Amino acid sequence: MAVNLKRSSGTGASTEQIQRRRMLGWLTGLGLFGSGILSAVSNFVFIKPRATYGQPQRFSIGKPDDFPPGTRATLGARSLCVVREGNKIAALSTTCTHLGCIVGVSDTGFACPCHGSRFDQDGTVTGGPAPRPLPWYKLTLAPNGELEVDKDIEITPGSYLSL
Amino acid sequence: MSPAANPIPPKPGLLTALKELPKNVWNSIFRNPLPSNDLEKSATSFTNFFLHIHPVKVHKHSLKPTYTLGLGLISFFLFVILILTGILLMFYYVPSTTQAYDRMLDLRGTVAFGMILRNMHRWSAHGMVAVVFLHLARVFFTGAYKKPREFNWVLGVVLFLLTLFMSFTGYLLPWDQLAFWAITVGTAIAGYAPVVGKDIQFLLMGGTSVGQEALLRFYVLHVAVLPAILTLGISIHFWRIRKDGGLSRPPEADATPALEFSAPAATMKVAGPESRKTYGLQGLVRGPITKAGQVPDNTVFSWPDLFRAELFTFVITLSAILILSLLFNAPLEEPVNILHPPNPAKAPWYFLGLQEMVSYSAFWGGIGIPTIFVVLLFITPYIDRAQTGVGKWFAKERLLANTIFLTFVLANIVFVIIGTFFRGPNWAFVMPW
Ligand code: HEM
Ligand code: FES
Repeated sequence: MAVNLKRSSGTGASTEQIQRRRMLGWLTGLGLFGSGILSAVSNFVFIKPRATYGQPQRFSIGKPDDFPPGTRATLGARSLCVVREGNKIAALSTTCTHLGCIVGVSDTGFACPCHGSRFDQDGTVTGGPAPRPLPWYKLTLAPNGELEVDKDIEITPGSYLSL
Repeated sequence: MSPAANPIPPKPGLLTALKELPKNVWNSIFRNPLPSNDLEKSATSFTNFFLHIHPVKVHKHSLKPTYTLGLGLISFFLFVILILTGILLMFYYVPSTTQAYDRMLDLRGTVAFGMILRNMHRWSAHGMVAVVFLHLARVFFTGAYKKPREFNWVLGVVLFLLTLFMSFTGYLLPWDQLAFWAITVGTAIAGYAPVVGKDIQFLLMGGTSVGQEALLRFYVLHVAVLPAILTLGISIHFWRIRKDGGLSRPPEADATPALEFSAPAATMKVAGPESRKTYGLQGLVRGPITKAGQVPDNTVFSWPDLFRAELFTFVITLSAILILSLLFNAPLEEPVNILHPPNPAKAPWYFLGLQEMVSYSAFWGGIGIPTIFVVLLFITPYIDRAQTGVGKWFAKERLLANTIFLTFVLANIVFVIIGTFFRGPNWAFVMPW
């Protein structure tokens, strides 16, 4: 519906010249478009941090004696809960698998204040919207006698470290 | 004027220059006297930078307060208040996890006008989310998104999403308990998006949890990136309103003795490609070449009617925000404690519907249903092509569309109410009384 004006090639250019002109036009367009995409991608590469400045994922939490049998101690700053039953010890995450709130210890296990997810002592979901059980992290006894947690490695729930 | 009629004026003396100084300075800024006739009224509109974005004349229907309810304009004024108060707050705010909260306390205690500025910024932000949404609803219920305004509607949906994102990024900055946990939950919701979710979450937080990096990123988004995009978007939005022929109105608003040539297709032929005749710019403008005196004129000059209405809206908006800010203080919770979320941890009211839905299913509540709603909003003008029912509130012809829209809105309102009043510790259902 727009008004159609005939494009005049005022100089009386030959078909060959017109084709070259059109070709150059396309190449320019392609070049601009390509550069646009490239700079958009570089922006994403730029804002994706290569190094993160948070806490290390692997750290020691103290000696086994700090957790006498029967302990269920939350290490707040690490968002961990250390459980010891007899000679078996394990480290569970206290970060809710729903949307990342910190669960609190309840009579029956753990409860999340944000949207009401509930977990039993082993971190299995017993109610609420959480889609997965609380992860168990790899726990090792370092040569210096300290317990070491690696939050990058999840292990099967229920697999304790025997002391 | 011919040179003969206007001989070179005599050189004015210094004294005259001094005497005329105020008048001359004034006239050099404002080229027009206060308008007293039609010519001056139009000249005023287009020789003033701030007025020239307005048309010289507006349709009477567009000035009816009951049609637009002034909601778009109020959104804009709230945005202006937000920019101004926001810039002032930036003089004292530091986006650092160790300082941000203290700066909030300083604003409250030591900075002159700190409290009222923060209150104004907070209440305008809440207000803008609400008013932009009401504006969207007004445009929907009046069918104003229909051709030729499809694109401005799509742009509007983008503006609405940007407004939400603005408030989301601003929410973290006080670095209090509310801020920290709302953003922890909010970014985790993003993580549920298929394929790119985890990457988006990582990009937003600049790491694996909400901390210094996240605070800095949210700050940059909130004070630079998003306001710039919003300003650009609003400018295009306004420009499009004029290019789309002013505000929508019902056909009756134009119908007094309809003249033949108001069918645009017929007049467009004039400048067809076969034509050998050359045309000036006027000849290429859509529609009849000269309208003056030939079409029923339902328009009035923008000066003073439109400008008066705008000034009135501005004064009302600013007064409302000032009164709210004098009466109510913006909340500030305890400083961040990453060990203990407040119980219950609630998002701001306009996200509580989402939070309530998320408590049933993170994916469907946080990603699935909102995405469906937004996609529906985007494609509405391309699906609903009927040209009837434009320019009237709740037109009978639009019953279906309006019902679908209203259903989504009411559902959200119900969820917001449940989330606000009926959820207690551990998000358990409680009675508010
Ligand atoms: C930053 C937010 C926004 C601002 C500042 C803004 C501003 C405005 C203003 C001042 C008007 C003039 C008429 C009126 O006041 O109603 C208008 C009209 C319009 N707006 Fe917005 N708007 C915003 C967001 C939106 C949204 C979210 C939508 C819908 C998705 C939208 C769609 C439209 C359309 C289609 C019109 C033309 C209405 C008609 O012709 O009747 N805008 N806008
Ligand atoms: S974050 Fe724990 S239930 Fe939502």
